[in-house]
Amino acid sequence: MTKNYIELLTDASQKNIDEWLARYPYEKRRSALLPALHVAQDQNGGYLTDNLLQAVADYIDVPKIYAYEAATFYSMFELKPVGRNKVYVCNSVCCMLRGSDDIIEQLKAKLNINLGETTPDGKITLKEVECLAACGGAPAMMVNKTYHENLTSEKIDEILQGLE
Amino acid sequence: MIEIEIDGKKFQVEPGKMIIEVADDAGIRIPRFCYHKKLSIAANCRMCLIEVEKAPKPLPACATPVSDGMVVHTHSARALDAQRSVMEFLLINHPLDCPICDQGGECELQDVAVGYGKDVSRYTEGKRSVKDKDIGSLVATDMTRCIHCTRCVRFGDEVLGVPQLGTIGRGGKTEIATYVEQSLDSVMSGNIIDLCPVGALTSKPFRFQARSWEMEQETNYSPHDCVGSNLHIQQRRQKVLRVAPKENEAINETWLSDRDRFSYLGLLHEDRLAEPLIKQNGEWKTVDWQFALNVAAEGIRKLIDAQGGQKIGAIISPNATTEEMYLLQKMMRALGSQNIDHRTRVTDVSDQKHIGAFPGMGFSIASIEEQSSILLIGSHVTHEQPIIGHRIRKAALQGSSIFAINLENYQFPFDLSDKLIVKPSALVWHLASVAKVLLTKQTNPDSELMAFLADLHVSEEANAFADKLMQFDKGCIFLGEIAQNHPQASAIRYFAELIGKMTNAQVGTLTTGANAAGAWLAGAVPHRSAAQKSVASPGLSAKQMFDAKLPAYLLFNIEPEYDCTHAQTAINALKDASLVVVMTPYVTEAIKEYADVILPIVPFTETSGTYVNVEGKWQHFSGTVKPFGEARPGWKVLRVLSNLLDLENFEFESSLDVLNTLKDSVDGILGGHHNALELPSKMNLPHEGLERITQWPIYRTDNLVRRAYALQENIVNTIPQIYVNNALAKKLACAEGDLIVVSQGQASVTLPLAINDALVDDGVYIPAGFQETATLNELFSPVTIVRS
Amino acid sequence: MKKIVQIIKSFTLWELLIGMKLTGRYLFAKKVTLQFPEEKTPYSPRFRGLHALRRYPNGEERCIACKLCEAVCPALAITIEAEPREDGSRRTTRYDIDLFKCIYCGFCEESCPVDSIVETNMSLYHFENRGENIMTKPMLLAIGDKYEKEIAESKRADAPYR
Repeated sequence: MTKNYIELLTDASQKNIDEWLARYPYEKRRSALLPALHVAQDQNGGYLTDNLLQAVADYIDVPKIYAYEAATFYSMFELKPVGRNKVYVCNSVCCMLRGSDDIIEQLKAKLNINLGETTPDGKITLKEVECLAACGGAPAMMVNKTYHENLTSEKIDEILQGLE
Repeated sequence: MIEIEIDGKKFQVEPGKMIIEVADDAGIRIPRFCYHKKLSIAANCRMCLIEVEKAPKPLPACATPVSDGMVVHTHSARALDAQRSVMEFLLINHPLDCPICDQGGECELQDVAVGYGKDVSRYTEGKRSVKDKDIGSLVATDMTRCIHCTRCVRFGDEVLGVPQLGTIGRGGKTEIATYVEQSLDSVMSGNIIDLCPVGALTSKPFRFQARSWEMEQETNYSPHDCVGSNLHIQQRRQKVLRVAPKENEAINETWLSDRDRFSYLGLLHEDRLAEPLIKQNGEWKTVDWQFALNVAAEGIRKLIDAQGGQKIGAIISPNATTEEMYLLQKMMRALGSQNIDHRTRVTDVSDQKHIGAFPGMGFSIASIEEQSSILLIGSHVTHEQPIIGHRIRKAALQGSSIFAINLENYQFPFDLSDKLIVKPSALVWHLASVAKVLLTKQTNPDSELMAFLADLHVSEEANAFADKLMQFDKGCIFLGEIAQNHPQASAIRYFAELIGKMTNAQVGTLTTGANAAGAWLAGAVPHRSAAQKSVASPGLSAKQMFDAKLPAYLLFNIEPEYDCTHAQTAINALKDASLVVVMTPYVTEAIKEYADVILPIVPFTETSGTYVNVEGKWQHFSGTVKPFGEARPGWKVLRVLSNLLDLENFEFESSLDVLNTLKDSVDGILGGHHNALELPSKMNLPHEGLERITQWPIYRTDNLVRRAYALQENIVNTIPQIYVNNALAKKLACAEGDLIVVSQGQASVTLPLAINDALVDDGVYIPAGFQETATLNELFSPVTIVRS
Repeated sequence: MKKIVQIIKSFTLWELLIGMKLTGRYLFAKKVTLQFPEEKTPYSPRFRGLHALRRYPNGEERCIACKLCEAVCPALAITIEAEPREDGSRRTTRYDIDLFKCIYCGFCEESCPVDSIVETNMSLYHFENRGENIMTKPMLLAIGDKYEKEIAESKRADAPYR
């Protein structure tokens, strides 16, 4: 018997996904996949598991491969356990020209981890991502869900200190 | 109509067409990988870039609709430059190890690279490599070779309707994969082998066996289902190595079911019999043909002298060719017996004289797509006839409503508008209720019928179901395997026909085996000889022959323990018979238990013959390879046996001779209709309690498929277990895997329990076609279950 | 005058002496005759004689069953059957060369992408029984193993001209 994966989603999450589902006609329910994956990720401490992907797919009633495709395509979905805070630094053209490489180096040195790794105390996961759509404020990075633009060395220290 | 110009030639085309379609129709070759005429347009390989005048940059021909006055250059310097550049990009990551690639020689990328690739790559960095996935027993993967055309992904999405493959990751890390490595559980998954333009997805059983240039191919037709899919049999040095689809828009389009594609693996199974065998004093002896045929003829003659010709029964496989059917029935009738049948699984034949020329469809397979509503009765169509299942899916995608009355809520790749999931004994009852609802809505209902159905209680569900059925103007009703094998099959046919009449739908029967239509036309039925001539006193049907315990049987290409309804009765009757002549390509210990003479015949690749498909289309094929050992085509064996029995008019020189004799008298006859079916004598109340449900799983349907190892290992193949739904398992306090005993009268089987929640309550699905389940006789009847 | 010269030449057997001069030169020149089979002429590294299948230095057979040699063979002398080996790699299960059919054109060697099938410079072999003309895979590999040094040398010698 196949397991009922939907139970993995909390009531709050289910309610939240329902709201998203209501915004699309039934045939286009696949559109609710992205927000639903976010909901599931938030519920699970910032990352998705195989079972959670299946739960979301089953809940929205789309083939599970669709959920897997979306979750592996977008960099804001994590498929491995992450730290309490996610630091995403943009590496695309505008930010690169404005010195994102230095920022990444600085972060790596400061946190003493490589890209894609989490600090041993589980506080921060550092990741390099493609364009954050904040080219006007390059170089930019996203910490959890907050954008920080026009980064400088001092600004980064400040931001990191502010993290729990 | 608008006018466009491609490479200096002007074409009148319909607006909305893509440039590549126009070019393909005109025979102008544009290189492509992701475009496929049967799939949606993805435009992600960019190989078909062409130059369109006034366009600022090259455009993809597959995704650019034509517009009036468009001037296209497919081979201009600019187009070629774009195509060459794309080729260079594709070869950045594609390995250049064609010599060890199984696609080498028939690879689209290889072909196009010859035309557009550079001799030396400018790319010196390392190539990426991707881990291979295990996606089952049929398709081998070499994912490093993938060029991400996504044809396989779109095939799953659009054609199969069960997306299992997807694109994982992005950019340079894109991979084609399944959701956490799993096997493809589709019955048509083999088509991705043909679709893949490179060697990423190839045939697993064929892996590394041969190159395309070594093989010769001949046209043949599917010997498993009533569709008659066109195939290419590819052989090298007299050994069949591969089967590929042959395009035929009217039948199988460009697709092929896995059963048709991989059944060839059973052709040279170790069970193949090379020389005739006879039993002498309880010992099996290998003898020559002359001797064996003489023994068979002598035995038959003695028996006729002693007990008369009507004491012989002949049962022929529904997969036999029309010629074999014709010769066997002609021989039987010349011997004075009408006991000939091909309906090995059918129990109820009471209405056989009312069936038209043959059970089948009075409409074409292609026209299924145009039906506005389709009702399936007792049919797991996607497993019984995968190609018809695909046509129904296409109809559903175009907005048709599909209804089903089944014993299990099958996972169809299309949505059902409404369904009734009922117990076997309630099937007729529910059909009758639907008919009753429809009748009451008629302006002038048949009073006799109304009286007959007066006592019938109509359930809420049936009412709603009937209401929805009424809304359509053009439709069809399909009777599937369960409807045909049901003990009340004649009543099911009656009510199906009645519902059809009231909803303006044609009734089609999706017959078992490749050649049921041919069998009827050739006279391999007890009540009609060739070309529909009724016989004065009909003989016995297959089931009746075994029930009657005849002293002599001729079996042609069947294994009763797997193929027959009431298998146990059949085996007992055969063991008690004084003469059993078995004509079979495969010999097993079971056959040796009851046979007296075993004559080796050949499967479809080694004989010439004709199949008539469900629409009544005659498809003649000639032998692709030489017969195995001393085995001989069935029609030759029957001809010589008839000659040895001194029967007249058996001087046929070729299978075409046989065919022409028959065809002259039956050509143009269309089947599929029922003539004035009779009202069943009474309506039985549905049975209370547990009932057996029986079907032949897709890879257990005939002796060839049962020996194809890759299909037996496939995840789709059912294993012999006892399937019940969750509720019933709870009631029985059993868990999955527990050994349980199912009894039916005296007989019982002990098998592990498996849970299938789609089954009807109180339904116990015990698949047929297995040694383990052959002891249970009745296909649909009450059973009791206890824990072992 | 002309006549006198001719008479003198006739009497002194002058033309015979001219001819004997050539004979005499060869009588003392270095001999080209070889005492075959004890002695042999040098072979070109491109000589196309008996076939062999080679291995890599680690002992792995080179042949990958691509079947290009079979396809290119103008005499249809090569027959190959292949299937996946236990480790999943593509390998031949049968590799037969019919030496009666073979015309020693060397196309198989040319077509081989992994330098597996080669024609060695052995031209001295014979058959005593029917059927010995078929060189099977183990036989070809054995030749390759035995003469790998010579084969490698020939390949190296010819490499600059390829």
